[in-house]
Amino acid sequence: MRGAKRHRDRIGTACAVMTAVVAAAFLAMAAVLVVRAWGAVGPGFLFDPSSRVADRAGIGPALAGTLWLAVLTAAFAFPVGVGTAVYLEEYAPRTGLAAVVGGAVANLAGVPSVVYGVAGLALFVRGMGMGPTLLAGGCTLAALALPTVIVTARTAIRAVPRGLREAAFSLGATRWQVVRGQVLPAAAPGIVTGSCAAFTRAAGEAAPLLVLGAVSFMTFAPRTPADPLTSLPTQVFAWSARSQQDFAAVAAGAGVALLLLLLAMNLVARAVHRRVQGVSP
Amino acid sequence: MTAARMPLSGRRAREPADRLARPVFLACAVLTAGIVVAVVGVLVLETARFFGVVSPVRFFTETSWTPFAEDPRFGILPLLAATAQITAGAAVFAVPAGLMTAVYLEHYAGVRTERMMAAVTMALAAVPTVVFGYLALTLVTPLLQRLRPGTEAFNGLAACLAVGFMILPTVVVLTRSALRSVPAALMETGLALGATRGRVVARVLIPSAAPGIMAAVLLAMARAAGETMIVTLAAGNQAQLTWSPLEGIRTLTAFIALSSLGDAPSGTVRYGAFFAVSAVLFAVTWGLHATGRFLMSRRRAESAA
Repeated sequence: MRGAKRHRDRIGTACAVMTAVVAAAFLAMAAVLVVRAWGAVGPGFLFDPSSRVADRAGIGPALAGTLWLAVLTAAFAFPVGVGTAVYLEEYAPRTGLAAVVGGAVANLAGVPSVVYGVAGLALFVRGMGMGPTLLAGGCTLAALALPTVIVTARTAIRAVPRGLREAAFSLGATRWQVVRGQVLPAAAPGIVTGSCAAFTRAAGEAAPLLVLGAVSFMTFAPRTPADPLTSLPTQVFAWSARSQQDFAAVAAGAGVALLLLLLAMNLVARAVHRRVQGVSP
Repeated sequence: MTAARMPLSGRRAREPADRLARPVFLACAVLTAGIVVAVVGVLVLETARFFGVVSPVRFFTETSWTPFAEDPRFGILPLLAATAQITAGAAVFAVPAGLMTAVYLEHYAGVRTERMMAAVTMALAAVPTVVFGYLALTLVTPLLQRLRPGTEAFNGLAACLAVGFMILPTVVVLTRSALRSVPAALMETGLALGATRGRVVARVLIPSAAPGIMAAVLLAMARAAGETMIVTLAAGNQAQLTWSPLEGIRTLTAFIALSSLGDAPSGTVRYGAFFAVSAVLFAVTWGLHATGRFLMSRRRAESAA
């Protein structure tokens, strides 16, 4: 703190107090979670299956389910989202149908996640006959993440200087060579950051999976995408709903595990970001 | 994607790769468009089928929502009122707190405080909503019950507080960017004229950033209206019209999340009710979101001019 910013007045003091309250509330929230989770974490908590007895309940299947869902979501939404963004920015005409699709996608980014659950129930679980499986969950979360991936990828692609493209074209590069050699490498850090944020957010979603019919009691860890839909967020929900019956501590434990998993995903995203940034020209 | 696997180095491979790229990217765009159409289409179709059985007039005017009763009633008003209560209540907490935090961070805080609070805001934004729901139910509600013994185990107030906390990062981040778009000369002029920093903020900066701040509030409210897990866990499941924030209520989102736990067979009226409620929710959040985005784009156009 230095310079003119230091001079306080009544409004500044009030704002400072409010900021402190927000920070304190955040810390209190984190502290309560960690303290409560502490009691739930036994040696096998991360790997044990769920149990009807709170003391013996673990998050093994739920954790495996969420890892599957994150992989499936990224596998579906990343190529399609980046491909769409490249098409809309580099190939499609600025007007007409492509612009309409672009606008509709941007608006879909604000649709509540639970609505995707309802659509996913009709389209994937019942329409395509997938049933309440991890695959159906992955498809639904991919549809949920897709608009964000496209919007952030388009922003990153648009930020690539025109001169870069023009120079490549003038050297005789084809459009694909420009995209592959100039646009994508330059836009990669932005694309990776935005997509990973979208996947992390999707991995923390419980509402759409609940609508699809996620199960919260599984005795084995899912091994293929065709196994029943289970996930950490829905496990936190199920245990929270039973917090009166000793499940409050394991719910906190699962919540902390979920937070740590999302944090780890963020760190991976940052590592990838740094790598692609190093590669780009 | 096949395009990514195409060999690039060989001179002969170049031409086919270029020819293949366009259709592959087009296929991605078509698939995206297909998903958009399918999501919107399935909502519209099932809602239309539902309104073929239940009259839309009764749907929007009746005050009783009992889809599982022998003689089911589909009056959406209690659900809409609950969503309005949560959205407005969350805004009551989040808007002053977010605005003041944003003002402090932009115009008063030192570099270290600013960085620390930016990290707190980011962390808060990354917390899954089900965790907020857990805290609302097992931390906020017991505290409220100690303060007001009549508070029900499921109540709107705890959910409002948690949803408000959840949308706080949205308000802070977007308000900060709105404040930042105000030319620095305004603050300097105000200070040079002898006004206090607080006076310039209240009289000059906030009014000139008002459209952007309004956009921030609307986008945050759109998130609050669509929030599901907090209200499902903490606000309860009573579809009732009440002014009391200490009683249980059921929002549009909570109905969708809770009722589908017992799976309704396809084609029934109850199944259709999910889609009708989803369509209403879609319309509400879309309206808030689109207005917010419109205000933001206008702000951008103004500041560019």
